[in-house]
Amino acid sequence: MRSTAIDIDNESRPLERGAARRAGAAALVGLAATGLAIGLGAGSGWDVFFRSYLLNYTYFLSLALGGLCFVMLQHVVRAGWSVSVRRVAEFVAATLPWLTLLFLPLLVPVVGRLPGVYEWTDPAVVQGDPRLQAKAAYLNVPFFAVRCAVYFGVWSWLAWFCLRESRTQDISGDPRHTQRLERVSAPGLLALALTVTFFAIDTLMSLHPHWYSTIWGVYFFAGSAVGFYALLVLMLAILRRSGRMRHAVGAEHFHDLGKLAFGFVVFWAYIAFSQYLLIWYANLPEETIWYRPRQGDRWWVGVSLLLVFGHFLLPLMALMSRFPKRRPRLLVAAAVWLLLMHWLDLYYIVKPRAGPHHDHAPPLHATDLLLLVGLGGLFVAALVRPMRRWHLLPRRDPRLPEALSYENV
Amino acid sequence: MTAQATSSTPVRKLHGLIAEFTSPGALVTAAEQVRDAGFTRWDTHTPFPVHGIDAAMDIRRTRLPWLVLAAGTAGCLLGLLMQWWMNATSAADFPTVPTFLQGYDYLISGKPIFSLPANIPVIFELTVLLAALVTVIGMLALNNLPRFHDALFRLPRFRRVTTDRFFLRVDADDPRFDAEGTAVFLRGLGAVAVEPVESDGQPAHWPRWLVTALVVLAALALFPPLVVAKARLSKSPKPRIALIQDMDNQERYKAQQSNPVFADGRAGRQPPAGTMARGQLHTDAHYYVGRVGDDWALTFPPQVTVDQAFLRRGQERFGVYCAPCHGLGGAGDGLVHQRAVQRDTPGWVQPSSLHDQLIRSRPVGHLFNTITNGIRSMPPYSDQIPPADRWAIVAYVRALQLSQDARLEDVPPERQPELR
Amino acid sequence: MTSVAPEIDNTAEIPGRRAVLITGDLDFTGVTDTVAAVWERPRPPRAWYVALAISLTLLTILGAMVLYLILNGVGVWGLNNPTAWGFDITNFVFWVGIGHAGTLISAILFLFRQKWRTSINRFAEAMTIFAVMCAGLFPGIHVGRIWLAYWLAPLPNQMAMWPNFRSPLLWDVFAVGTYFTVSLLFWYVGMLPDLATFRDRATSRPRQIIYGLLSLGWNGSSRHWHRFERAYLLLAALATPLVLSVHSVVSFDFAVSQLPGWHTTIFPPYFVAGAIFGGFAMVLTLAVPARELFGLKNIITLRHLENCCKIVLVTGLMVSYAYMMEFFMAWYSGSPFERFIFRARAGGPYAWAYWTMIACNVVAPQLFWFKRVRTNVWLILVVVMAVNVGMWFERFVIIVTSLSQDFLPSSWDYYRPSLVEILTLAGSFGLFFTLFLLFCRFLPMVAMAEVKTVMPQAALTAERHPHEHVPPTRAFDYNPDEHEPPAQTGGSS
Repeated sequence: MRSTAIDIDNESRPLERGAARRAGAAALVGLAATGLAIGLGAGSGWDVFFRSYLLNYTYFLSLALGGLCFVMLQHVVRAGWSVSVRRVAEFVAATLPWLTLLFLPLLVPVVGRLPGVYEWTDPAVVQGDPRLQAKAAYLNVPFFAVRCAVYFGVWSWLAWFCLRESRTQDISGDPRHTQRLERVSAPGLLALALTVTFFAIDTLMSLHPHWYSTIWGVYFFAGSAVGFYALLVLMLAILRRSGRMRHAVGAEHFHDLGKLAFGFVVFWAYIAFSQYLLIWYANLPEETIWYRPRQGDRWWVGVSLLLVFGHFLLPLMALMSRFPKRRPRLLVAAAVWLLLMHWLDLYYIVKPRAGPHHDHAPPLHATDLLLLVGLGGLFVAALVRPMRRWHLLPRRDPRLPEALSYENV
Repeated sequence: MTAQATSSTPVRKLHGLIAEFTSPGALVTAAEQVRDAGFTRWDTHTPFPVHGIDAAMDIRRTRLPWLVLAAGTAGCLLGLLMQWWMNATSAADFPTVPTFLQGYDYLISGKPIFSLPANIPVIFELTVLLAALVTVIGMLALNNLPRFHDALFRLPRFRRVTTDRFFLRVDADDPRFDAEGTAVFLRGLGAVAVEPVESDGQPAHWPRWLVTALVVLAALALFPPLVVAKARLSKSPKPRIALIQDMDNQERYKAQQSNPVFADGRAGRQPPAGTMARGQLHTDAHYYVGRVGDDWALTFPPQVTVDQAFLRRGQERFGVYCAPCHGLGGAGDGLVHQRAVQRDTPGWVQPSSLHDQLIRSRPVGHLFNTITNGIRSMPPYSDQIPPADRWAIVAYVRALQLSQDARLEDVPPERQPELR
Repeated sequence: MTSVAPEIDNTAEIPGRRAVLITGDLDFTGVTDTVAAVWERPRPPRAWYVALAISLTLLTILGAMVLYLILNGVGVWGLNNPTAWGFDITNFVFWVGIGHAGTLISAILFLFRQKWRTSINRFAEAMTIFAVMCAGLFPGIHVGRIWLAYWLAPLPNQMAMWPNFRSPLLWDVFAVGTYFTVSLLFWYVGMLPDLATFRDRATSRPRQIIYGLLSLGWNGSSRHWHRFERAYLLLAALATPLVLSVHSVVSFDFAVSQLPGWHTTIFPPYFVAGAIFGGFAMVLTLAVPARELFGLKNIITLRHLENCCKIVLVTGLMVSYAYMMEFFMAWYSGSPFERFIFRARAGGPYAWAYWTMIACNVVAPQLFWFKRVRTNVWLILVVVMAVNVGMWFERFVIIVTSLSQDFLPSSWDYYRPSLVEILTLAGSFGLFFTLFLLFCRFLPMVAMAEVKTVMPQAALTAERHPHEHVPPTRAFDYNPDEHEPPAQTGGSS
């Protein structure tokens, strides 16, 4: 017998003009906030400005990279349940070309050898430091720039390809798009793993160029995954409120996304703890130096504890049972919290400065929050743009019926 | 329907009715209808969990997850408490706790006494262990398993429940149960067969022989722990029983044993040629041997000062080492000699009297040498008495000798009236 | 009696149509008959006897070597200063790693709703149990005074002496112990319905009693199934972090030290990935012959094998990633000790072991990019055997190169295993395969109840449930040449 008809075209209709206006407003707010931050930066120190920029930029970049990873992963494993949420994830990944443009300001402190951001860019510092000389073949400005070009080239191409194939399938329904996406996603994931790892090393780990940790790439990835799933939940909830995707995305999908968020929260804690335990246990000064400023005063001890409880224990308890995962309202609250915690994780990575640049003031600057709003506005605008042009569901994906009809245990 | 009981056959009891289906879909439809008909004591049996049967039967969610959460939490706390107690507390913190439960806090590789990061792995493992144990035991307990007897197993058809057939069972003690009516109802649901479930009338309790055997075994099993407890709580003059005897029979070479590893075949080794133990280089012959040049020393060595304290030391040491044989007065009448006489020891020679003219005429160096190396049946005392004490004893012996061979003039005048 | 059935290729992927998992037109009865036949037939195939004879021989050798070790002490091994760990710990980590694949298949693939796992999860879990037993042997016998091994447990005693919980070796005790217990419980509980199948099909009274006792009186009640399913889900959810933690704790044995080549933060996830890599290789090493020998080709199909190969490829790439990160960071760190150890691995006295490892772990699995290789059982066997060897060598390289050439060159020494160690390693395979062969003969090799749940016959049809969306999963009548656009409206077509 026929089941309830789902009007896919209506459920997946692109956003209308109102959304475009709101996105434009978000972009303007973003630009304004960024401008204000620049003004503050000129006043209080460019190093503070660029570190705030780095913090917020990598935050939004990590969400986009999480999206790209999710999309390619779903193609490789031939998932059925996620087809109805995949297009939104493709949109998140599609912000990568815009994020490439937004990366350019970060080249300023690198090429301009700004003190207080990347020590290794300053030839005077490298001269006097044999340990930096030992790695100068890797940590030098030209090679850095070339590597970044490769990272963003790979990401932008992959994001564009995934969206292009998927939206082309909306019209033809040709399953060869699915097959092509599967074939490209496998080496694509490999390329993503390598580029994300080295990006994290280049931009985040080299903030403290003497320090090193082989698990760094995995750590960054784990945090990005948590942030992305939280973002996806939030976006789906917002879209459903506008009347779209009400039948295509339901309690089952939220349940699964909640499970994935839960799993990655635990995974993040496992990676973070592994890194901490090993460095704590061997107690080698060249490694513990990274944790020293992060445990050095009450502020940072507080941030560390907030990460332990807020990024791990609380979400663990909150997302363990099936009940909150099946209620969009509760899951959205958890998602917002996780997005904040992901920001806090990157704050914990980027902001502490030891040595001659040590800050004595509470290390939360106006630029941190201004640029969060600033880059956030621009990110939202970039997100909304494709949602105006393309459908929100892969309308003729061969596996869409599965996504519309499955049930959790 | 119960079979008529005769004097020898057991009474069969009807437990319920069972209906057999060939597909899960048919079973679920039937289950819905049985549920809707108001039956409460019924169940379905399937070879695998059928999707949708929970809803069709209105099976309530089990509370097992809550039990597991509690167990996991308990495991977490247990892990934390155990490691804190055992590695970070000591008898000093909790003196009233019996020794075998006391903690022992020791520093190792500079880690803090209470090392929370290092304790996390075991905490995690215990959380999982307790949670998993309760999951399994809880599931079995809530399912009333193991349960080896069930009237259902007597039906040959029911054997296919684990292969490819689906059954619906209504119990006889359901209020709506009626032997014929329910059977008709079940046939109407599309069952390929409907059969009664009957017990074989055998009594349900355990056979007497089994109970007796178990009780006897339990009683016997008490013996070993009781024996152990008795041994623990009582004292015995005999040595402890140890399964591994490596303290009693130590795997080591003893001094006089042979040892094929060395060329001379001995386990006991000489010091290497040309070496000397520390503190054993006794170049001062006067002090260590009692000789000056080729003669016995006539005076005490310069390292010792013969004063009252020195003499008192000599007296005390004489009383320890010399008096047993030579007597407190030095007359050779010590307790050993008295005992030997009493026992009529054959071949016993009385220890010398130190007041003998010969011994009185010996130089101090000679006396020192006698104490060091022994003479005739007297053993050497060099291992027991350090050189300074030996000189003290020699000084005291001289004092003793003087005490028996003195003239009135030797006594100080102020002490002479005491002699009268 | 090997299977006469031809190899049915169900690896083709048509998006929108899920492939048939159980081939050969088997229904519930057919699946049960196929799996139970392994147990019901009067004699197992002759190859089983031959394999058992070989593994029993190896097991005897193991027993002899262990006895010899206990009587004479650890000096019978080739360990020296500074290489205090050699074959013993290499074997331990190797076997523990192999065990992880079983838990991954049972627990993690269950949580990811991968239906294909049902054909292989039972014997993969059995493989886990037996591998963990082999693993637990080695730390037990390497301690020296084995009869005092109970000191590792926190038992009250009159000396107020407790284990040192700050040591990773003790975390191992708890981790491996918990892993063994939980895996055993998971395996046994999962087996209850299938043991009940054996009980119900038993043709002799002793068999009926034995399997009746083992199955605890399971009668397929849906109310029981409800709690059973819940317990299974909980165990899967518990086993997932457990499997991550166990090999991470094993990696801590090395990573918490200060030795170059050991002390590196990526060890925990790297070891877990490596464990799954080696474990799946062993699953395939067992599955390929077992399905031939016991006639299970319709249940453990080419698709199952192909999926396992893909997992081998993915985890192999993760291991290669870790090799690369270690090497890069050693250079990046600028530390002469770190840089040295990686040069020593590739060009020093153990270069032969290092390059074997690279060839087997990095190069060989790349063949699995090609579908031709993934679907050819002989090529699969070649690649996974190489991976087994490579994973053993990986642990050997890690342990021995870092120990034999540590910070002080005057302490360096070359480690050579003694014959006793080599025979002990060989003997451990005897223990593993003896137990596994006995399992194949006497216990349900495939999780029949679980397989039935993923067969199309288990689905309730749309006619029955008008309000339920049912995905189109008709199993047998797909035609690769025809693809209709999926329905615009939901529901079954």
